[in-house]
This record gives sequence, C-alpha cells and structure tokens, in this order.
Amino acid sequence: MEKTETPDEELVRRTQAGEAQAFDELILRFSPRLYGLVYHMTSSHEDTNDLLQDIFSKAYRSIKGFQGKSSFYTWMHSIAVNMTINFLKKRNRRKTLSLDDADSGILNNQDFIEATSIADPSREANLSELQKRLNESMLKLSHDHRAVVTMFDIQGMPHAEISKVLKISEGTVRSRLFYAHRQLQNYLQEFIDK
Amino acid sequence: MDNEDSITKLLRLKRYEQPPEEYFHNFLAEFQTRQRSEVIHRPLIHIAWDRFSSIFVMPPIPKLAMGSSVLAAVLTTAFILNWSDDVEPSSLTLTSSGAVQLDSKNQSSPSKVGSTVHYVLPAIPVSYVSARSF
Repeated sequence: MEKTETPDEELVRRTQAGEAQAFDELILRFSPRLYGLVYHMTSSHEDTNDLLQDIFSKAYRSIKGFQGKSSFYTWMHSIAVNMTINFLKKRNRRKTLSLDDADSGILNNQDFIEATSIADPSREANLSELQKRLNESMLKLSHDHRAVVTMFDIQGMPHAEISKVLKISEGTVRSRLFYAHRQLQNYLQEFIDK
Repeated sequence: MDNEDSITKLLRLKRYEQPPEEYFHNFLAEFQTRQRSEVIHRPLIHIAWDRFSSIFVMPPIPKLAMGSSVLAAVLTTAFILNWSDDVEPSSLTLTSSGAVQLDSKNQSSPSKVGSTVHYVLPAIPVSYVSARSF
C-alpha cells in the first residue's frame, strides 16, 4: 500500500502551531530542490550549504506570517532567490570555481553520461570540459538572468511559476530568458548541434 | 529556436549536479544543531525583550472589530473636543464708567433668553478705598 504524503499546507499549519518536526519534514522535502537552485546560482557547494541554512532559518522565523496567498513552494523559492541574489551582490565573483568535489562525482554518474550521449551522440565531447564550460558560462550571466535560467532551463519550472517567484511579469521572464540564451550561445557554441 | 533547444538540453545536464542523498539528512541535523546553538547564544537583551513582550501578548483580533474600535474611539474623541469648543470662556470688559463687566455668552437660563446679564464690579478695589471718606 502506497504511503500518502502529507500536503505542504498541512505541514505549514502544524509548524505554525509550534510543531518543529513538521518543519523538519519540509526541510527534507524542499532542500534538494532549493540546493539545486542556490548551487546553480552560486557555483559553490560551500556557499550553497551556508546559504541554505540561512534560508531555512529565515523561513522558520517568518513562517507565522505565511498566509497561504501563494503556494509554500513559491514562497520558499522567493526567499531562496532573493537571499541568493543579495549574497551574490555582496560577494565578488570568484575567479576559481569550487565545483571540484561535485565534478569528480558527477563524471562517474551513469545518468549524466547517458544524458550527455543522448544530447550529443555524434560527438565525443569531453564531459569535464563541457561541465566546466557550462559553469563558466552561467557565471558570466547577470544575477537576474542566472536566476531565470536556473529555474527554467535547469529546474524545468514554467514561466508562470518563475514570474510569481520573482514578482515580475511573464513577459519579463521570457525576455530575460531570450537574452540569457543568446549570451550562452556564444559561450557554448562548440557544444551546440548545428 | 533549434539553438535555444540545444542550450536548454545542455543546461538540463546540470540538474545531475546534486550531492548524495545522505547529505540532506546531515543537512537537517546541522540545521537543528545550529538552531539550538542560536537559542543558547542569543543575546540577553533579546531574551529579556521576548519575555517582556510576552506579557502583552493579545489574542488575534479580527480586522473588522479592530477597525470599528478605532473608529469609535476617534468619533468619541472628536465629539468631546467639539463639545468643549462650544463652551467659550466668559470675558471681562471695562465699561466707560470704569466698572469691570463680566459678560457670559452662555446663559443657560430659559427665562432670560435674549437678555444679557451683567455682573458689575466696583472699579476701585475695596482695599484702595480711603478709610476717611465721608
């Protein structure tokens, strides 16, 4: 028999009533997705770990004010994106990427290898080079463009959801994506199918 | 448009860059430890403020009730202020005969409607009257 998952709203309500375990459940549920969001914007596992701690701390402190006007998912993403952009504004862009730990792991990941060969079967691309270039090209985008690309291209969020998270119109989301893609095309030209 | 799709495909590869499952369980443990540490190392002033403010904790008041109470308070204050403005202070005038006259515009006696009551005081105080005046 399949175990039914407690809805987010129920966990939020219980957290608001003072049940800390309900918030633990929300952390386990949301941390993988938020980790991806923050990591692809910062390109640093260390910073992502610290920021994610701050993001959940802030969410826990503010959860009593959450009135359910948007979904909890959107609310959490808004906090994460805003805090990450603020962090990036303060931090000077790092010259060296701290992706080494993840890289070594991901390059042995069968899913990643298969996905890469499906994406580009005609060329024996150097996976290490590809990942390096992907990260470098992401870091060249502005913070706002990077946030949109992360949510749309990497996380697969729809335009409408992104517009709610960033509190901008869908038109602005599409326009940011357009300019970001055009910029990325230049950096990743050799990996793009012709 | 093909280029756009290719970029999206390439970027989607980045979603595999995730730490292992156990990282998130450790993350939760780290979060709990940090929270406890924050409680212990909280500045004394914050703890004192929390305790002080908890004395005045009020149950949540519906917005309509709160609004009505404020409106009632404002109207009552306005009425009281308006009422006290109507009652003007009496004034003292000096008549040509040298007597000081106290005029009151707010005579409430219904029998004397339209008439003015004059209180005539001697021009010279009693203490100035010479003892040898005949």
